[in-house]
Amino acid sequence: MKETVKAEEGEVFDIELNIDILKTNQKLAEENRKLLQKNGVKAIDIMGAIGAGKTSLIEKLVETLKTKYRIAAFKGDLTTTIDAEQIARHGAEVVPINTGKECHLDANLVKKALKRLDLTKIDLLFIENVGNLICPAEFPLGSQKRIVIISVTEGPYMVIKHPFIFADADVVVINKTDLAKAMQVDAKKLEENVKTINPKAQVAFTNCRTGEGISTVIEALRL
Amino acid sequence: MHEFSVTSQIVDNILKEAVRHNAERVVQVNLAIGKLTFLGIEQVRFAYKLLVKGTIAEKSKLFIREKDGLVKCSKCGYEGNFKYEDNPIYHVPMPTLKCPKCENTVDIIGGKECTIESIKLVTDKDETK
Repeated sequence: MKETVKAEEGEVFDIELNIDILKTNQKLAEENRKLLQKNGVKAIDIMGAIGAGKTSLIEKLVETLKTKYRIAAFKGDLTTTIDAEQIARHGAEVVPINTGKECHLDANLVKKALKRLDLTKIDLLFIENVGNLICPAEFPLGSQKRIVIISVTEGPYMVIKHPFIFADADVVVINKTDLAKAMQVDAKKLEENVKTINPKAQVAFTNCRTGEGISTVIEALRL
Repeated sequence: MHEFSVTSQIVDNILKEAVRHNAERVVQVNLAIGKLTFLGIEQVRFAYKLLVKGTIAEKSKLFIREKDGLVKCSKCGYEGNFKYEDNPIYHVPMPTLKCPKCENTVDIIGGKECTIESIKLVTDKDETK
């Protein structure tokens, strides 16, 4: 005789859950966005690889805009406040965010940092993410505009190797253009790559050491 | 890239739900992951296998449905999948925000989800136990 067929013990049932794991951060980002809007603060993300020039860009923007706006900045880094101090020197109110070991900022860290500021006394907030072209794209923070900055020293294929972060960018800054010749990188080609992925992104060429091109970034941000 | 932490939240949620329903075992988990997330399917599976070990979900089957990125064109009203550039240099087709119909710029409206859609549980029939 063959083995008896038995019904499975217990009762099997399906449960609809529809829990979105990434929603937690997205919801917090939305709260941050509302809080900023309520206080009339324009928040701008700055994302880019390590050494692309995120801090230098903020320094130049603060230097140029500080008479027009009251500016604050969040500076994300794993450790140290070196860059934060550098930005603060230009007269912006800076809240350093040390992520410890995390490779990106998230909406919760930004929410905490927002509590350190008197938002009624700020018009403009720059949020500098940890140097990374991948993870920050997954975690919106609540800003209104997103800048992605790359530099020619990162090589000619930076855009096509990291397409996704550019899809979310409002402004793409191509930095260190003074070194393009030495690096044998065609900055125009980088712009073309950006436009292929995201035709509505505005592209600015800069040298954040000298301040060249900063006015085009300001224009693109409508500041 | 954050597969382990995301998957660990997935497993936490599943186990919490199982406890709420007095389940004896979790037999199946259905996930939907958007193609615009930075989650690798293979890495999610790997993390899942490690994370359910020793729990009532240890022998569960994990089904992952990949969801396409969804875009909308404000000019011609197109709503659907991305247009891809398939230049061989990219090896994987590169999504572009050009409308496949009218070449206008489109907005991303979907594809960034990581959802536990449903789970299948086995409960013990004998409730006095």
